[in-house]
Amino acid sequence: MTTELPYAADAEVSLSYDELEVLRLQYQKELSQSHVTIQTKFNYAWGLVKSPVREHQVEGVRLLQEIYRAEPTRRRECLYYLALGYYKMGNYEEARRFNSLLMEKEPSNLQAQSLAHLIDERVTKEGYIGMALAGGAAAIGAILLTSLIRRAARK
Amino acid sequence: MSGDKDKGPVNVKLLLIGNSSVGKSSLLLRFSDEQWLPEDESSATIGVDFRVHKMEVKGRKVKLSIWDTAGQERFRTITSSYYRGAQGIILVYDVANRESFDALPRWYSELETYVSQAVVKIIVGNKVDKEFSRQVTYAEGQRFAERMNSLFVEASAKTSTGVKEAFQQVVEKILDTPELWAPVTKRPGVGLNADNGSMPGSINLSEPQGSSAEGGGGCGC
Repeated sequence: MTTELPYAADAEVSLSYDELEVLRLQYQKELSQSHVTIQTKFNYAWGLVKSPVREHQVEGVRLLQEIYRAEPTRRRECLYYLALGYYKMGNYEEARRFNSLLMEKEPSNLQAQSLAHLIDERVTKEGYIGMALAGGAAAIGAILLTSLIRRAARK
Repeated sequence: MSGDKDKGPVNVKLLLIGNSSVGKSSLLLRFSDEQWLPEDESSATIGVDFRVHKMEVKGRKVKLSIWDTAGQERFRTITSSYYRGAQGIILVYDVANRESFDALPRWYSELETYVSQAVVKIIVGNKVDKEFSRQVTYAEGQRFAERMNSLFVEASAKTSTGVKEAFQQVVEKILDTPELWAPVTKRPGVGLNADNGSMPGSINLSEPQGSSAEGGGGCGC
């Protein structure tokens, strides 16, 4: 029997259009009645963060940040989904920041550990690509520089 | 008999549900990692957690995706979206907490809304290590399970009693119910109708989403 690493399921699985629509309509309805419950707002933010669409993720993170500030009892779940949202948006620094806040409070939280692992993995992967790009840029820069120096020396 | 599709593992999706603090995550952790976190170290699940576990049952390779849902009331709406595509449901209560047992009918009514009747259900009475403060007898649990046409096991994630058996039993029953996992090739109409009969609403819409989600284990880059 083997088990793969625990896994932040919400990072990959998104809602169907209809499901997100249900959450959105509920939010809109409460918004128009100018009384939005934290639950409705959280549900909608959660659906948005899980979406593969970037604008959704951005909006989801914005709502979660509002909830985080307004509702101390919801902080742990906001931290987790904020980290997840930033992770999905490719902002690994922010993702790590929120996830570490959660891990500080709950060091043995397996979901946070799993998300930390995912973030690290992605950073390493993109780090290599970044290094390769930077390396390439440095090489081109060096060639330009030498050619400039040569040209200057000729004069 | 069904030896024609012996290739490749059978994918099975299981869902753990039940009141908060009954030990759903602990059962999963015990089953998948042979681990146990003391109560003060374990934290309430946020939304859902997920594990993939491979096992062999009746000589068949089975790839289990186990979804562990938060039991807290405030996650109800959002966790219900995970019912989609589940072939087995593990309903957990705490034998030392009557309230968690009395809540089972409510969980069943939620099941009625979201999953087909063919889906295999098992009731797990967890925390039998707390024998001294037991509030629900074995007989009572078993009677209820019979009435709900569900399997029944008592377990302890702490001592690992009954944990493997619980998962084993669900998977065996699922394997004995091919319409839950075998691709419907011969007469697709029949399979679809059977599903529609007991799955109201948008189930058909969400079906493809569910299967793509199961394959989502790998990263697309």
